[in-house]
Amino acid sequence: MLQYSIRRLLYIIPVLLGVCFIVFFLFNVVATDPAAQQLGKHATASSIVELRKELGLDRSYFVQYLDIVKSAFTFDFGRSWSSHQKISDILMNKAGASLSLTIPAFIISMFLGISLSLFVAFYRGRLIDYATMLICIAMMSISYLVYIIVFQYVLAYEWGLFEVSGYESGFPAFIPYVALPILISVVTSLGPDIRFFRTIMLDEIYQDYVRTARAKGLSEKVILFKHVLRNALVPIITYIIIQLPFLILGALLLESFFDIPGLGGELLRALNSSDFPVIKAFTVLTAIAYMVFSLVTDIFYALADPRIKLQ
Amino acid sequence: MEKEYSLWADAFRRLAKNKIALVSLVIVIVYAAIALLVTFGLLADDWAQEVGPANVAPAADYLLGTDFLGRDVLKKVIYGTQVAMTVGFFSCAIAIPIGVTLGAIAGYFGGIVDDAIVWFYTTFASIPYLMMIIAIAYVMERGLKTMCIVLGVTSWVGLCRLVRGEVIKHRNRDYVQAVTALGGGHSKKIFTHILPNVFHLVIINASLRFQSAIKSEVILSYLGLGVQNVPSWGKMIDDAKQDLMQDRWWQLVGASFAMFLIVLALNILGDALRDALDPKLKGQES
Amino acid sequence: MKNLIFILVLSIFSCTKNSSTSSTAGAAAGGEKVLNLVVTADVKGFDPNQASDLYAGNEVARVYEGLLQFHYLKRPYQLEPNLADGMPTVGDGGLSYTFKLKKGVMFHDDACFPNGKGRELTAEDIAYSIKRMGDPKEQSKGWWLIEGKIAGLDDWRKNGNSDYTKEIAGIKVIDKHTIKFTLSRPFPQFLYAFAMPFTYAVAKEAVTKYGKEFVNHPVGTGPFITGKYNQGNQIVYTKNPNYRTVTYPSEGESGDSAKGFLKAAGQKLPLVDKIVVKIMKEEQTRWLNFLKGNLDAMGIPTEQFTNVMVPGKGLSDKFKKMGVMERKSVGLDVTYTAFNHEHELFKNNVKLRQAMSLAQDRDMVNKKFYQGISIPAQSITPPNIAGHIDGFVGQYQNLNIVKAKELLSEAGFPEGKGLPEITLHYTYNTKSRQIAEVFQQNMSKIGVKIKPVGVTWPELMKVVNTKQSMMFSMAWGADYPDAENFLQLLYSKNSAPGANGSNYSDPEYDAMFVKASMMEDSPERTALYEKMYKYVSEKVPWILGFHRVGYGLSHGWFKNYKFTEFNHGVAKYYDIDNAAKGELKTKL
Repeated sequence: MLQYSIRRLLYIIPVLLGVCFIVFFLFNVVATDPAAQQLGKHATASSIVELRKELGLDRSYFVQYLDIVKSAFTFDFGRSWSSHQKISDILMNKAGASLSLTIPAFIISMFLGISLSLFVAFYRGRLIDYATMLICIAMMSISYLVYIIVFQYVLAYEWGLFEVSGYESGFPAFIPYVALPILISVVTSLGPDIRFFRTIMLDEIYQDYVRTARAKGLSEKVILFKHVLRNALVPIITYIIIQLPFLILGALLLESFFDIPGLGGELLRALNSSDFPVIKAFTVLTAIAYMVFSLVTDIFYALADPRIKLQ
Repeated sequence: MEKEYSLWADAFRRLAKNKIALVSLVIVIVYAAIALLVTFGLLADDWAQEVGPANVAPAADYLLGTDFLGRDVLKKVIYGTQVAMTVGFFSCAIAIPIGVTLGAIAGYFGGIVDDAIVWFYTTFASIPYLMMIIAIAYVMERGLKTMCIVLGVTSWVGLCRLVRGEVIKHRNRDYVQAVTALGGGHSKKIFTHILPNVFHLVIINASLRFQSAIKSEVILSYLGLGVQNVPSWGKMIDDAKQDLMQDRWWQLVGASFAMFLIVLALNILGDALRDALDPKLKGQES
Repeated sequence: MKNLIFILVLSIFSCTKNSSTSSTAGAAAGGEKVLNLVVTADVKGFDPNQASDLYAGNEVARVYEGLLQFHYLKRPYQLEPNLADGMPTVGDGGLSYTFKLKKGVMFHDDACFPNGKGRELTAEDIAYSIKRMGDPKEQSKGWWLIEGKIAGLDDWRKNGNSDYTKEIAGIKVIDKHTIKFTLSRPFPQFLYAFAMPFTYAVAKEAVTKYGKEFVNHPVGTGPFITGKYNQGNQIVYTKNPNYRTVTYPSEGESGDSAKGFLKAAGQKLPLVDKIVVKIMKEEQTRWLNFLKGNLDAMGIPTEQFTNVMVPGKGLSDKFKKMGVMERKSVGLDVTYTAFNHEHELFKNNVKLRQAMSLAQDRDMVNKKFYQGISIPAQSITPPNIAGHIDGFVGQYQNLNIVKAKELLSEAGFPEGKGLPEITLHYTYNTKSRQIAEVFQQNMSKIGVKIKPVGVTWPELMKVVNTKQSMMFSMAWGADYPDAENFLQLLYSKNSAPGANGSNYSDPEYDAMFVKASMMEDSPERTALYEKMYKYVSEKVPWILGFHRVGYGLSHGWFKNYKFTEFNHGVAKYYDIDNAAKGELKTKL
């Protein structure tokens, strides 16, 4: 177990080198010239050369690649090219707003998803099951953007039930601003969540142990809540953990539509202004989070389900 | 070989029994036909023409109204069908060969080849999907071609994993061993013996890939990374934010409904295919 | 309409609640005057050297000051001394400028000074601040402003190793309160530089102490003080208690008195005790906050325009009753769709350019996207500065399809035959995409095929700088109120990657430009500017767009809110009438 964990932890290194390479290739080799962008309307050929030198873009590609690798392993991403602020400060400043939206949305949709899927699993094969599944598929067939536009227009603008957009930091001041984005986030994730959880539960329901339990005369409710749910929790929690790193990134579209000053908006800004240090920091950090969390998932899986052997 | 034939025949029989799935299939075919007609200039070729005053609500003359330039929204929706189907088709046509080939090679050969491919797709998967899309779209020139490539090259990892897993299972099965005994080469074993057995995964994956590409087109259009000088559903939905403020709902409704129908059909078809083809689930729900 | 009423009802509801609490708070603080302003984008920080955008510039100018500033009320825009004690003396045939500094100007108290007490500003500080603009390590965004102009500074930038102790011929500290700048070539616009935030005076102690974090530690001499900048969503300033005696101007342009802009004449500045600047990027958010009275002023949102303004009559009754006031702003800017003149197609093909310009229906664009209030540009120089000809109607700037078609066939492309598809690059957002689609449609009417390509700003810079674009859309806002700032956009020496992204190259134009750029402000220069104005209109180097006009709204309690294109440092003139605020807020 320990050996496996260490090996998996070490595996992060080659993957991280690969991530760094892709980032390097996309942004240092083929992307637009950040110097020209920064100098804007008053750029001259000589000032571009000078700024490139100042930004270290005149060095060999290999050295530039090593720079990214170094920052990935030291977590020191330097300063934003556009605001000259420390990237760690920027991330710290923006993370709060993002998390105040994504965490509640995530918890609510998980709770609703699990309860509703238990409910339809209980009534599997009946009309209510089919109807719910059909609604789920229908909900999944509408564009995310349409949800945002329509909900924002109807619920906030026309009916005035929510703030149209904006943000205030600090609890509980932020609640009115994130309520609608959370609702949208929950509504859009409900379809896929319920379908996924239902499949898992049905997988369990058809296992032998359920048949045994049923043969023993246990009621359907007891079986569902005690046995099925407990066993289904393993894949469900796995599913949850693997989504966690992306919560930090925030909901890019929601943040931009509702003007929530979070990481998603910051990322868009960085992409739109060739702020490479910020883009690199985002990419590398999410990649690390993704790998760490998938490791956690695997270990969790192994702990929860003794049938799985880690090698 | 007989085994596979019976699997497919069985699957088709099951599919034919499923009325909703059949309707979905018809919808997909109709959309594909519209897309082809548009491609050959037989339909909605004159979408750019001003047919009347700007921002007219749906009426007998313009079934879906006109946009801010007095163009027929219905024609734009029809033209958008072509864009959506193209994006769906070509992103599959790019992602599936990559996913299947890499997955099969990794699963079949194992060892260092497997390590390399697994490393490659883990690296790929750890970079946030949207970031990848945006980055590539920034690097290439905007347009339909780029969008297909972007969606294609960023969406093969799931299928690759799946195929790799299946191939590992099949690699040591008797029938493959038998081919080895008969002196069959690697490529023969992979392509003529193992892959047909994982082909159902590809079909299921394709229907889901297809619809998610159509949905991604909308997001990319909102971010300004979509098609450029032709209409698309994404651009029409993007216009809707301002349209709605002036109570103009028809572009939004037209484009969203056109999209809803095809995505729903593909989703249902994907489910029906899974039920029909995936032996693991067979028998459970009947 | 319905929506608006609904919002109003809501805001009334919420405001009655708010105003009661805030008025008690105000009373408790002894009638403290608080100005509530809004900024529409992230503020990048407080380093004058980096204040290249309007947002950062405005914030920098509340804390820092320059030698000169624009007179708040007088029009046309006029420079006046700020840190300088009177306007500089110009010598050596326009090559030297000697500034006397005001005595007793103190830096804000800050930990970077001995005992935390701000010291007096001296000529050394001015010299330091200008050198810092030229320091390659600092990469000041304002370097272009003085590049190639101050004697010896360019050489110091190249070979000086950022050694500030080295003598620079063009920057001479005569005594504690006198500094002399010498130019290497005549540059009549030089003085404008001293009213721009890039040149504002910083203290060496602060730059040294805070290093890279200087961007978050503003230490200036200005009317307001703020603590460490923490990138939050608001910035709070308090009145500088040690601010030298500066008074509100007692004369302005005609009509200022009637509008009440002279009531505060002679009062000691700043007039308010505190400024709260909120960062709100979304227009809708700003609008709701304005309606609630949480913001003192803002521009009218596009979607609300018809609700707020009655065409030809000004504000609607509803807003008049709320005590809201409007102010019109005519931007010192020009939008344009440029041809790349290095592309074979447009090079020397004036008839093609004229034809395309004639086919563009700008009235339609104006109506659809600018509420019909912007001014269709007839040439390059915007209104309200010398060199713009009022009432001039360009021969090729106004829709005429018949003539456009004629010129197109004369150019060798009858009905557009033989023309390739023309790519148009623009910065992507929904509105600019729609404007590009209008252009595409208009051009199709004479048979010209346009392919609009929406890209990000960096990408646009890239295609323009590398001369790969065929056509592109841009806008230019004035850095200073002089036609030269616009006319240089077509000077061939400024070709890409310079400001002349269209790479227009015309010896006749160049000759006029070089001559004008050496001339001091005079009737002769204005005449030459006007000649160039007409010349540009005829040669159609770009398809001209608009000089943008907007309307701002302010609440009745917000005083001395006069429109100026050069916003830097004007907050000290603003005033809040707390009595009026208490009364008007009940009417919201």
